[in-house]
Amino acid sequence: MKIHLYQIIMIFISSVMLFQGVKEFLKRETGQTFLKFAVRLIVWGGMGVVAVYPNSTMFFAKMIGIEGNINAVILTGFLLVFLLIFKLLSAIEKIEQNISELTRKEALSHLPEQIQITHNQEPDESQ
Amino acid sequence: MESSVHVVIPVYNEETVIADVVREVQAAGDYTIIVVDDGSRDATFTTAGSMTGVVALRHRINRGKGAATKTGIVAANRLGADIIVTMDGDGQHDPGDIEALTWPIRLGECDVVLGTRPRVRGEMPLIKIIANKIGNIVTWLLYGIHVSDSQSGFRAYSHFAATIIDTKADKYEYDSKVIREINNNRLRFTEVPIKVRYTDYSMGKPQKQGFINGIKTLVRMIWGMLV
Repeated sequence: MKIHLYQIIMIFISSVMLFQGVKEFLKRETGQTFLKFAVRLIVWGGMGVVAVYPNSTMFFAKMIGIEGNINAVILTGFLLVFLLIFKLLSAIEKIEQNISELTRKEALSHLPEQIQITHNQEPDESQ
Repeated sequence: MESSVHVVIPVYNEETVIADVVREVQAAGDYTIIVVDDGSRDATFTTAGSMTGVVALRHRINRGKGAATKTGIVAANRLGADIIVTMDGDGQHDPGDIEALTWPIRLGECDVVLGTRPRVRGEMPLIKIIANKIGNIVTWLLYGIHVSDSQSGFRAYSHFAATIIDTKADKYEYDSKVIREINNNRLRFTEVPIKVRYTDYSMGKPQKQGFINGIKTLVRMIWGMLV
């Protein structure tokens, strides 16, 4: 069986992503639920299967009625754009979390002076 | 020994009601009150800060109810709270329920107590009943625990639970993410019925968890599963 370069790359990427998913799920890292794990398994596992058995796409193509090389190129393009958007949104979310964390730290830095103010107010109450 | 109870109130543009809310909490019992102003554009922070016995903190920019609640919980932990209660700042929660809410934790029976709003027509608007049921089902599907009111912000946490619960949710999905944390950390929880006062003010707020915000929350919850 002749193996193409794209197959090796796809198998490598999907293996890494699957390994990460399994590791995070088994370690029960925060946010790692079974559903998230299942989604990762389907997406990256599916890519791995397609890389090993390219003909498996024929079944899918016949099922949805898309055939031809040009369509495959367009679909690949869509996939790449989707991955890019996915990556960008993930990065934005990470930045949002960092902003919240910084905002929290700044707010909590005033906690000691707030406690001081509260203590100073107490004698006034008894007057 | 008496447990110290800290009440965390996240607020955003609540200058007209925050003083009354704080006074009600003070009248309900001997609680340390922490008001977290989430970047309000009005005088909410000044009003809360000028009140006796209130620890007022401020987010420089608006980060969402979840972020403000988390800031308040971190502050309460630093102040040595045994029990932390979170409640809304728009006056819809009755501070008289704090005692019932904290009681199971005082007894050592559980780590988290979820306040449950009555879902009866007449007491809760129909649209809220439907949204609440959808929220509960989605929370159950995504996070594995079915609760009666996954969106209620009136809750009590033991010191242990408040330390261990860790979510990065900033907006309204925070309440559901806490359910996930309860499941992930195998925390003991119970549900306690609470009273809710739906006023024209609380129902008319632009930042409330309405239909559009509900959809946004749903999208963020699903998105959180993928990334």
